[in-house]
Amino acid sequence: MAEQADFERDAMQYAPQLYSAALRMTRNPSDAEDIVQETFLKAYRAYGTFREGTNLKAWLYRILTNTYINRYRKLQRRPSEVELGELQDFYLFRRLGEQAGAEPSAEESVLDRIVDADVKEALESLPEHFRLPVLLADVDGFSYKEIADIMDIPIGTVMSRLHRGRKALQQKLWSLAEEHGLTGSGS
Amino acid sequence: MSSGCGHAVEYLYRYLDEELTWSHRIRIRWHLRRCPHCCSAFEFEAKLKELIRERGCDEPPPELFDRLHALIQQETGEIS
Repeated sequence: MAEQADFERDAMQYAPQLYSAALRMTRNPSDAEDIVQETFLKAYRAYGTFREGTNLKAWLYRILTNTYINRYRKLQRRPSEVELGELQDFYLFRRLGEQAGAEPSAEESVLDRIVDADVKEALESLPEHFRLPVLLADVDGFSYKEIADIMDIPIGTVMSRLHRGRKALQQKLWSLAEEHGLTGSGS
Repeated sequence: MSSGCGHAVEYLYRYLDEELTWSHRIRIRWHLRRCPHCCSAFEFEAKLKELIRERGCDEPPPELFDRLHALIQQETGEIS
């Protein structure tokens, strides 16, 4: 079992990632800081129950996710498939390919022009049920099994939400790229 | 579009997420080597994934560390 006195030394390194994840969840810096503080407090109190040598980052994310869910309660709605509508594979790649014509790897050069703000906006536009798995997998680099443990859902559910969430993310990135004139349409 | 393409697309994310067994991974790689279309689509998806990781985060305000430290100090004081 972990020593409570070591908590700060062990956990503080994850504060930046936790804050960033909290910001994508709440979309608001002061709410994000609130849930990170609550997470740290709960984690500190429970640190005696944490088994040393196991995955501390995932353990902290589990507390963060639960804190967010309990506080905002948005996840209590059942996820609806309709929420994301019809989704295609390789949406962004196809749309960019249609624009690019013969120019080689033009799709990838458009990717280089997508700015941080668009990526964040696209992530934050996803409905809750899809946003959390996409954040945990793509931004924080957790495995399916870790995400299943963090969110307390079956691994199959992680995979299906992650797949749909990523496709929806691509549609949003496309519409933002179009809005900002990155796609070449209308020029 | 061959039957190999359908299989590759089905396992696209599990491949990129490194969630496939070694032998399954080899099978997809084999297809990608032979199919330029799937290969460029996979490369694009891999690059997109990398981009989301790089550009999807924010730095915390510098005061956050002090606030967390103070919070734990205060809690320690209350316990002892």
